[in-house]
Amino acid sequence: MSENLESKLQDALRPVAPSDEFSRALLKRVTATRHSPAHLERAGRPWPRSAAWWVAAPFAAFVLIAFGVQHHLQAERERALGMQARHQVIEALHVTSQKLDLAYQAVRTQSSAFVEADTGV
Amino acid sequence: MRICRSLMLAVLLLPALACAEPNPQLVLPDFAALSKKAAQSTTISLDSSMLALAGRFLEADDPQDAAAQEVIKGISGIYVRSFAFDTDSAYSQSDIEAVRRQLSAPGWSRLVETRSRKTHADVDIYVMIVNKQAIGLALIASEPRALTIVNIIGSIDLEKLHKLEGQFGVPKLDLETGKAAPRGSQP
Repeated sequence: MSENLESKLQDALRPVAPSDEFSRALLKRVTATRHSPAHLERAGRPWPRSAAWWVAAPFAAFVLIAFGVQHHLQAERERALGMQARHQVIEALHVTSQKLDLAYQAVRTQSSAFVEADTGV
Repeated sequence: MRICRSLMLAVLLLPALACAEPNPQLVLPDFAALSKKAAQSTTISLDSSMLALAGRFLEADDPQDAAAQEVIKGISGIYVRSFAFDTDSAYSQSDIEAVRRQLSAPGWSRLVETRSRKTHADVDIYVMIVNKQAIGLALIASEPRALTIVNIIGSIDLEKLHKLEGQFGVPKLDLETGKAAPRGSQP
């Protein structure tokens, strides 16, 4: 009794090749679905994301490079200004010391003249 | 109401005006005419920020730079106008009258006044002393073919100036520190 039932079940569940008509209908449906606008929309969704990345990355790189260049130029400008200021300080002190020396020479000449007059030279 | 407010403002400002220290910074004229005539002219205007910037670029290893760094420590401004001419008498005393007028103001004392008959070079050195501290220095050097005006603002240590002279290849000046001669006196 049980063997009979088992053989009947095996017969019923035996893999059967689909009919040609069923296969054609299935393939038709699959093809139609793949080319449908909804499917295309879903498939194309990663594109805008990747495009945004390719636009953002060079832009970020450009901003970084521009910032670096600007920083470098600013440092160069400051250095040039600093060197100019240094040169001016040296020059100003040089001029001042030269003129102080002029006064020193005059004072010394005058002092030696006084000494000579005092000693009767 | 407006008068009342003005009076109150005046009362508030009076003590501030009374306590105001004399300004050691001279208003130097443009000297445009002298610049045109001069064979060589030097115009240097360094305020505190420029001096601070210059200080960052002075090298401690270099003796000249180190001396300059030491000198500018207490200084908040250096102003130089220097003109060299090809001919004698290219400028007149009236050109520097505006500067001399400022130096006759209270606060300024003439430290040195030299008149050389040999070189015809006149040098006047003025200092502004407040609370026994020199807060400004002015120098006018008139030579037949050169005119130099120097104005240094800040707490000037004459000892440092001694060092400066030595560093710049100029002999040391035997100034008596803190003993400024009264205005108009002869050395």
